[in-house]
Amino acid sequence: MIDTAFSLETGDPGRNYVPTGNMMLHAVYDTLLTFEGSEEDEPIPSLATMEKNEDATSFTFTLAEGRTFSDGSTVNADDVVFSLTRVQGMTESKANFLMNGITVEKVDDMTITLTTEDPSLELPAIVTNPALSILNSELVQDNGGTTGDDDAAEDFLGSASAGSGPYLLDSMDITSRAVLVPNPEYNGEYAPGFERIVIRNVTESATQLINLQGGDSHLAVDLNGAQVAELGEDFTVTSKPSAQTIFLLVNQNEEVGQVTADPKFAEAVRYALNYEELLQLAGEGSVQATGVIPPMFTGALDSGVAEDLERSKTALEESGYAGETITLQFPSDNPVGGVEFTPVAERVQAQLKNAGITVELAPAPFASQIEPYVGGQEAFSMWYWGPDFADSSSFLPFGPGEKVGLRAGWEADADPEIAELVSTAANATSVEEREQAMREYATAMQEEGPFVPLIVPGINLASSATVTNVQNNTNWTLDIPLLQPAG
Amino acid sequence: MTATTTSQKPARLWQRWPLLGYILRRLGTSVLLMLGVTMVTFVLTALVPGDPVAAALGEGAASNPATVAAYVEEHGLDKSIPERYLIYLAALLQGDLGTSIKTGRPVATELATAVPATVEIALCAIVVSLAVGLALGTIAAHHRGRATDQVLRVVSLLGLSVPTFWLAIMAYHTFFLRLGVAPGAGRLDPTFTPPPTVTGLYTVDFILGGDPVGFFDALAHLALPVLVLSLFTIGLLTRFIRAAVLEVLDTDYIRAARAKGLPRRRVIGAYVLRGASLPILTVVGVAFGVLLSGTVLVEAVFAWPGLGTYAFNSAINLDLPGVMGVGLVVGVIYLVINFAVDLLYGVLDPRVRLA
Repeated sequence: MIDTAFSLETGDPGRNYVPTGNMMLHAVYDTLLTFEGSEEDEPIPSLATMEKNEDATSFTFTLAEGRTFSDGSTVNADDVVFSLTRVQGMTESKANFLMNGITVEKVDDMTITLTTEDPSLELPAIVTNPALSILNSELVQDNGGTTGDDDAAEDFLGSASAGSGPYLLDSMDITSRAVLVPNPEYNGEYAPGFERIVIRNVTESATQLINLQGGDSHLAVDLNGAQVAELGEDFTVTSKPSAQTIFLLVNQNEEVGQVTADPKFAEAVRYALNYEELLQLAGEGSVQATGVIPPMFTGALDSGVAEDLERSKTALEESGYAGETITLQFPSDNPVGGVEFTPVAERVQAQLKNAGITVELAPAPFASQIEPYVGGQEAFSMWYWGPDFADSSSFLPFGPGEKVGLRAGWEADADPEIAELVSTAANATSVEEREQAMREYATAMQEEGPFVPLIVPGINLASSATVTNVQNNTNWTLDIPLLQPAG
Repeated sequence: MTATTTSQKPARLWQRWPLLGYILRRLGTSVLLMLGVTMVTFVLTALVPGDPVAAALGEGAASNPATVAAYVEEHGLDKSIPERYLIYLAALLQGDLGTSIKTGRPVATELATAVPATVEIALCAIVVSLAVGLALGTIAAHHRGRATDQVLRVVSLLGLSVPTFWLAIMAYHTFFLRLGVAPGAGRLDPTFTPPPTVTGLYTVDFILGGDPVGFFDALAHLALPVLVLSLFTIGLLTRFIRAAVLEVLDTDYIRAARAKGLPRRRVIGAYVLRGASLPILTVVGVAFGVLLSGTVLVEAVFAWPGLGTYAFNSAINLDLPGVMGVGLVVGVIYLVINFAVDLLYGVLDPRVRLA
């Protein structure tokens, strides 16, 4: 029994783009490549091995021999082509963007190529996403599946399995629970460890804690740092930083934030903060954000900014700040990784006051706060960002002229050097070149960007002694296929 | 002797059947009120700040103008609020509450699962509350000013004052974790499969399916949420019933009944409670409505997939059709309860139906 706060919307991999769905579907379906446990640096073969060309624009996948779907049929190239082009056809799927700019072609029954116009070193990480699971094409087509925008297989996939993963979807109620049972036809690497796995919707983390302590569940996914500290020696806690970054946004658009628009103001804020004190609010597994790229990804910086009030004071004077009250906006009802925004905002307010910056807090519900944030209308705000897929390229949108950069009123011509670094990192054709470019980008962002990364919240997976091999991964939060009974 | 003939018009149906006229009048009012509810719900939801398109499509798809345009057109978001309301109303008349932005499923289908879960705990809670509240309120009134009355008044005040969320956590911690006498969260033990849906109330459906083991498991899972939900309404009903009974106890006909030597039990059962029934009925109706629409915190703690959970999820995901569906259901719940209470007024008090 696994307790988690559901974000489940569908049992159809191509339409899924939420954490609970990823967790469940990763146990039912295989992807071309995958990640080994909690490792997220480099994808490894799952249904296929991969080779890329020198330009990183053509990726050839060769399917493993003899892998079967849950009905006993063999996984072949037609299944791969159907599954991936199906996602391309579903334009209203949240996962549709994963296949943007990718052309899928069958070479022979066991070989497929995925090609892109521009270098795409992130493609191997993209195909690990459960949304790009490989489906039994015949079965899905028999039940309404198409590669156009008229696909009607969602209902079928919500009550049946068309995958090659170690478990089958026995039943699913998106409001209460999903039940998985072993796939008798599974012939992959991770044999099912349990006869029945129930993923239960428990929205309240305090209830998850009591359930785990009382033996009603065996694994709790959403406990915060304080709650895992309550657990005794009978329980195992797997803690690590999540892939989310909580940051301050300092808008560079003069029409939005007259005071904040001076880059020196962002510098003053960056060096006014005591990050260790902020981290105390975050709990087990959390770390200081050393930059816009979280620590598990290529290009992440080794150490973050340290408080330097002198430097902050100098920058503040140069910014022309004259004691105006700055409003800090943030969503107050949407904790990330157990980190509540309101106490963090209060501490930021207090620390900035020490540095001579007067801040008033403007909390609001997420639903009403998101629109001005996305529209670039917030002068000074606190938000979070998580990767679209498990790769550092998901953090390039912080650059000037990019999606998140524009939310801070940071146009491409505002900092051509960093814009160039974004382009270099995005178009790198070798791992080494990419790593260097990512690191230079992250360093430059820490020095000149309009963002002040604060905290990477932790993720805590707490389990009873009956379960072993509990591992977290950004893609699917909990790796269910790896779970094994103790002893 | 001469016979005189007078031409009398035949009495209209509602003149011959005053109760029928009363029901028709109340039904008419309810329909108008329902229309008002749909209008208010729709307009308020339409005015909620936020971008439902981005919420539905996700940032990736929402950055594609063609996809956004297709979505906007398909869902009529390019139309004015009055136009959209009329479209909504037309669909509503055909039982179509729209499609959930979050899940892509019909809102009516999702509510059909969520509402019975809440109805099940709310029904049990109101029955328990009424039984206990009636007993405690009557006892308190009969012992007015004495120690029993004082204790019951304090206890009922406690029931009203204790925060439900805290109480739910403490009850779950105590009865499940510490004492081990209550089952875990949810509507059923994980090893059970839900019964085939007939009413959506698990206890009833297990009985209809002839599964006593399932019935007792569902009943056991109901106990703690019902207890927590009931404490507030027990407090409310106890205080209200005490006041209502006290008022009737001071009337001449009760004094006369006592003076004639009728047994106390008969006086209470046949005269006092009947006399106090109208105000009690009113507060029971309100309390039941509150129970049905206010279970979100209890549902969160006990992992109960009911209307409160659905409302919360719809709100935080900006799932506007879901939010409207919940608003509509809550409106209907109150109208139905008020209608039922009005009908019972008419049954209990002839003056009401003849007025």
